[in-house]
Amino acid sequence: MIRVENLTKKYAGGEAVRGISFSVEKGEVVGFLGPNGAGKSTTMRILTGFLPATDGQIEVAGAKLPEESLLVRQRIGYMPENVPLYPEMRVEEFLEYRGRLKRVARKEITERVGLVLDQCGLSDVRKKIIGTLSKGFRQRVGLADALIHNPPLLILDEPTAGLDPHQIRSFRELIKDLGRDRTILLSTHILSEVEMVCRRAIIINRGKIEASDTLANLAKRVQSGALQVEVKADPVGAREKLAKLSEVGGVVELNRVGEWVSFEVTALPGKDIRGEVDDLIKRENWPLRDFRREKARLEDVFVELTQE
Amino acid sequence: MTRAFWTLWKREAGAILLSPIAWVLLTCMALINGFSFSQCVAYLGQGVREFTVMQIYFYIFHFWFLLIILVPILTMRLFSEEYKTGTIEMLLTAPVRDGDVILSKFAGALTFYLLLWIPSLLGLAVFQVVTHNAVPVAWIPLGLSYLMVTLVGMLYLSIGLFTSVLSKNQAVSAMLSFTIIALLFFTGFLSYLVRDPGWREVLTYIFTLEQMRSFSAGQFDSRPVVFYLSGTLFFLCLTQRVMANRTLRG
Repeated sequence: MIRVENLTKKYAGGEAVRGISFSVEKGEVVGFLGPNGAGKSTTMRILTGFLPATDGQIEVAGAKLPEESLLVRQRIGYMPENVPLYPEMRVEEFLEYRGRLKRVARKEITERVGLVLDQCGLSDVRKKIIGTLSKGFRQRVGLADALIHNPPLLILDEPTAGLDPHQIRSFRELIKDLGRDRTILLSTHILSEVEMVCRRAIIINRGKIEASDTLANLAKRVQSGALQVEVKADPVGAREKLAKLSEVGGVVELNRVGEWVSFEVTALPGKDIRGEVDDLIKRENWPLRDFRREKARLEDVFVELTQE
Repeated sequence: MTRAFWTLWKREAGAILLSPIAWVLLTCMALINGFSFSQCVAYLGQGVREFTVMQIYFYIFHFWFLLIILVPILTMRLFSEEYKTGTIEMLLTAPVRDGDVILSKFAGALTFYLLLWIPSLLGLAVFQVVTHNAVPVAWIPLGLSYLMVTLVGMLYLSIGLFTSVLSKNQAVSAMLSFTIIALLFFTGFLSYLVRDPGWREVLTYIFTLEQMRSFSAGQFDSRPVVFYLSGTLFFLCLTQRVMANRTLRG
C-alpha cells in the first residue's frame, strides 16, 4: 500500500527526514511513532502529496508521487494534525462539499454522508455549525471527511491528540473497527494507543527510522522488564550473588522490612532471567515472598530507541 | 470548467457571503456610493454640463479610492486564512488541481466584487425615476463603464490573490496588494508630467483613469482590454508558481 525508499526532505534550516525507507502492506494497521519534531508529520504530508519530497521514491496506494499526485489523493483518506475545518459550515454541508471534491458520484453523496455520519457518531450534530462543536466532535468530523470517499488507505496524523480519556477510548474503538477492512497508518505519541490498535510500529527519531517491527518483536529488543524479588537473606551477600548471575545486568536494593529485603533485578537486553534467579533462590534456600516481572512496555522501547 | 471548480467556487462565494466582512463592505460601499452619487447629481444641478451622471460618477475620486481600498480587503483572506488555520492542507490533499483552487478563489472574489457595484446601478435607477427620464440612459457607455470596472477589478483581484498566497498574515497581504495596486494606479498620473513622448505613450497605456473616461464616454478601445486581461493572467500564473513551491512555507 505504501512503499517509501530513501525519502529525504530538506528545509532551508536543515533536514527533517533523512533517507528513510519503509513499507506498509495492504490490510495492516501501522503505528508511526516518534517524539515531537521527529519528522512524523512531514513524512505524512509527503505521503499525501501535500509537500514535495526532496529526494526518494514514493508509491502510495498503487500510484507514484509526485507524478500521480491526483490519483494518490483520490485513494487516500487523510486526517491532518489538529483537524483544520471550515468553522462556518454545517457538519452535513461540509461532508457533502468534501464528498463532491473527492469525486463521490452525485447519486451516492447523500448515502455516503449518511453512512459516515453514522459511522463516526455524528448523526446528532449533523445540522450543527462546525465552529460550535467540541474538540471531540471536530476530530470525528475530520475522520468522517477522511472516510467520505471510502478510501482503501487511511493516513491519520495524531487522531486522538487533545481528546479526553472517554473520547480517546471511543475513538480507538472506531479506528480498530475501520482497520478491519482498510490499511491504516497512524501517527501518535500516545504509546498505549499503538499497543491497543496496531500490530506493527515504525519508530522514527530525528528524521531516521530507528525500528520497524511488530510490537512483540520490538518488546524483545529492550531489557525485557525488571524482576522484583523479596527474600529473607543477608542483604549484601544476596545482592552480590544476584549480580554475579550471567544474564543479570544490574541489581538495585529497594527496601528492607525486618529481615526481608527486596531487589529489582534487571536483565541484559533480550534475556529472560526468571529461571536463573529462581535457581539461585532455591540453591541458597532463601525464603521467598514476592517474585514478579514488569512486562516490557512499548514505552520502554520507545524511550530506549529515541533517547539522546 | 470542472466539477471541482464549481464545488470550490460555491464554497468560496459562500464563505465570503457568510463572513461579517462581506456585509460591512456592502453597507459601506452603498453608503459611500450613495454619497458620491449625490455629489455627482449636485454637480450636474449647477448648470448645463457636457457629461452624463455616470461619466462623472466613474471619474470622481470616491470611486477610485474605494476601488483601491476595497480589493485588498476582499482578497487578503483568500489564501492567508487557509494557511493560518491550516485548512489549506485539507484542501490540497483532496484530489483537486492547484489551478482549480486558484481559479475558484479568483472567481468567488470576482462574484462578490461585482455584487458590490449593484448599489451604484440602483443610484442611477433612482436618478432616472426622479428626473422622469429627462436624459435617457446611454446604454453603450454604461455597459462599457461596467466592463471597465470588471476588467480593472479582475487585475486588482488577481494582484490581491497573489499577495494573499505570499503570507499567512492577512494584514501583510492586504498591505502588499494595496501597495502594488496603488502604485499601478498612480503611476498613470505621471503621464501628465513626462515630456518624452515614448514614455508618455507607455504611461497612458496603463492610465486607468483616462481609460475609464473614454470608456464611460462610449469610446471602446481594445488596448486596455488586452492590458487588464494579460495582467490578470500574469498574476494568476504567479500565484500558481508560488503555490507549487509551497515547501518554502515549511
